[in-house]
Amino acid sequence: MKRVLEIRNLVKEFPGVKALQGVDLDVLEAEVHCLLGANGAGKSTLIKCVSGVLEPTSGEILFQGEPLPPGDPAGRLKRGIATIYQELDLVPDLSVAESVFLAHEPRRWPLLDLDKMYRESAALLARLGHESIPVRAKVGQLRPAAQQIVSIARALSGNVRLLIMDEPSAILDEGEIKTLFEVVRRLTAEGVGVIYISHRLDEIRRIGDRVTVLADGRTTGTGLPATTPTDQLVQLMVGRKVEQLYPERLVGTDRVLLEVRDARRLPAVRGVSLKVHAGEIVGLGGLVGSGRTELLRLVYGLDQPEAGEFLVEGKLLRSNRPGHAIRRGLGLAPEDRKSQALVLDWSETKNVTIADLNRFSRVLLDVRNERATAHEQLRSLNTVPDDPDRVVRLLSGGNQQKVVLARWLLHQCRVLLLDEPTRGVDIATKAEIYRIISDLAKSGLGVLVVSSELEELVGICTRILVMRDGEIVAELDGKDATEHELLRHAVAPSDAPELAEEVV
Amino acid sequence: MTTPAPAEQAAPAFSDRLKGLRIQEYGLAAVVVLLFVAGSILKPETFPTLDNVRNMLTQASVVGVLAIGMTFVIATAGIDLSVGSIVAAAGVFGGILIGDGTSSLVFILGAIAFATFLGTVNATAVAYARIVPFIATLAMFSIARGLALLLNDKLPVSLLDLNGGSFGDPRPFSLLWFGNGRIFGIPVSVYVFVAITIAGWIVLNRTRYGRYVVAVGGNREAARIAGVPVRRIIFSVYVLSGLLAGVATVLLCARLGSASPVSGNLYELDAIGAVVIGGTSLAGGRATIVGTFLGVLTFALIFSLMTQLNLSTEVQQVTKGLIVLGAVLLQRSDSRY
Repeated sequence: MKRVLEIRNLVKEFPGVKALQGVDLDVLEAEVHCLLGANGAGKSTLIKCVSGVLEPTSGEILFQGEPLPPGDPAGRLKRGIATIYQELDLVPDLSVAESVFLAHEPRRWPLLDLDKMYRESAALLARLGHESIPVRAKVGQLRPAAQQIVSIARALSGNVRLLIMDEPSAILDEGEIKTLFEVVRRLTAEGVGVIYISHRLDEIRRIGDRVTVLADGRTTGTGLPATTPTDQLVQLMVGRKVEQLYPERLVGTDRVLLEVRDARRLPAVRGVSLKVHAGEIVGLGGLVGSGRTELLRLVYGLDQPEAGEFLVEGKLLRSNRPGHAIRRGLGLAPEDRKSQALVLDWSETKNVTIADLNRFSRVLLDVRNERATAHEQLRSLNTVPDDPDRVVRLLSGGNQQKVVLARWLLHQCRVLLLDEPTRGVDIATKAEIYRIISDLAKSGLGVLVVSSELEELVGICTRILVMRDGEIVAELDGKDATEHELLRHAVAPSDAPELAEEVV
Repeated sequence: MTTPAPAEQAAPAFSDRLKGLRIQEYGLAAVVVLLFVAGSILKPETFPTLDNVRNMLTQASVVGVLAIGMTFVIATAGIDLSVGSIVAAAGVFGGILIGDGTSSLVFILGAIAFATFLGTVNATAVAYARIVPFIATLAMFSIARGLALLLNDKLPVSLLDLNGGSFGDPRPFSLLWFGNGRIFGIPVSVYVFVAITIAGWIVLNRTRYGRYVVAVGGNREAARIAGVPVRRIIFSVYVLSGLLAGVATVLLCARLGSASPVSGNLYELDAIGAVVIGGTSLAGGRATIVGTFLGVLTFALIFSLMTQLNLSTEVQQVTKGLIVLGAVLLQRSDSRY
């Protein structure tokens, strides 16, 4: 069988981080090659190198035997490489046909050849077995699964030879996943090579021919048969040692700081109760979309719950009032620092003090005191640079996170809610952030941390609660928990009955 | 020590935004000085005279007061297109309140109260009915102009009979005094404008409220998560803009001695223009009162100069547009597109 894609010893370095440190991968014609790896293993970086969004530092990428020029993402589709990203990049107000031919519309000069567009997009959809999708409908009116089919049709319109699918099943239900797999099989029958990325181990057996596993930017297993035992795959995904990445595990006290009683907001959160004690770090694990972030938003008052009570130190919080939650001692470091936590054009000082300006405000703000106090907090967290006037846009992800943590440190909050606190942070800064979190808990705070990095949860948490489909399905003791066990609870049994049995 | 992320290396060109802002203010200050020098060279007889300077400043003070309010609105990434119409409506409203022997205070308070009320309508529409600011205030642009015409059958109201004496020698604190009186040779309206500018600077830069205003414009979601009462802040800036439109109404009517339903036409555009050339970002999150003040002076100097050079108002309008375009192009060098 011919190779459609060959990757040899691919290295991609960002300043301070080696995202890929020698990756090998072959994709054959007519095969589905699954790419596995924990968050941060380098899957996205690899994909971006192939799709031309990133330029590799060194190494070779051959497409149908020819080296691919670095960069030039726009030229990739012409060559026959299409990428379908997890967050669908379609314009909701365009019709299906317009989306399929976006940026390469057939024209009868100078007008669009609408007939041809409708005809050919209908043909493409039929080729995928989805002639029922109306080509004149607006994309925004379709279900996500149908939108994904439209994305695939779009890729086909450019005579695709290699299709890269980044977690296509994450937003689909079981029936839709079956449909998707049928589409993928049709493509491979035509000789298209597919790179299929997924967190779900069970999918590999269902759709994959071979598997490549990434861990920490390296291929720990490449071109393995899809029949490789799950155990062995998990081992390859997580098997590594990092010395002293995690601080000493905390035990916690029995004083309840935060209590959530039967919180509900359908469809994401379906009745969750939990307690966070002083001095402990409670992990909230589960797959993306299991309702973890939504739960934090309810606790913090960003969304209106349909039911449920939230108590801080025994006192009821008013729902949907972040300001009230903050005054009661809650702090939130949200998932997306840039869009949710920081005013990027502001100095470090202003970003640190925004939640606690009363402290500096009589009638006027005491800006000198404000700057000095912020500086002190930034220095205590080892922020680089700890220049209180530096605009936060220019900081690295880890240091932006420290600015957010400094804000809640200054506010002396009682309960800290952290959503993916180390996303996009290099390993050295990660260790620092773990230490900061641990020190805070040691000083008597309660910490509730959402993370998709299993290893991180197992590494730092006193207890780990696992969410699935909006409910807490398991509580694990941090010191005994394994990534294996976490993953098993996080994956819905309906998705993978045989997997659940095997892993046990 | 962590090594800097890629963004840090890619970004030195627009290094420190705060410094950038200051440089822009200095640049604009230089423009103001240059314009004054140019005027003095071109029209040495009439331009650099005390009378002309007084005149310029008096005229600038009306749009200037509006521009300070506009700076707060734009800082939240909003816009207020209605202030010119509100000036007309508030003037006529104040005018119909007065009868024989009423005091100036009735007019002043009536105009300010009505303008504030119309601003509150804007505020409610934007903050609570969640209508986008452009549309909500465009509606008020039309409504307020209509009210101005309706309230007194399209007729202007004379304010000369208020107990203020004459244009030449108005009694202190009478209406006409605000438009024509002087203290130490400087027009009262200029004191009002400067006082409001200083107050605006202090509120924007040295109070918690001002910090919240800019935070809301800079990143609304982040502001909310940091506990900023986002809706109340947005509400407040439109009320403030209305209130200051009321003050501008008083200054304008006091100068003219009448309240006309067609006054204040397109003042909102002058105010927005002054704010923008001053360096406040229409996208929110970056606001400068000093810049706005200098922007107002720039416009005032240019018009005075062009008028003295006998250039028609049409030419002046074209020039105004070109200045706004040029200023925005200059700002682009330090922002992302």
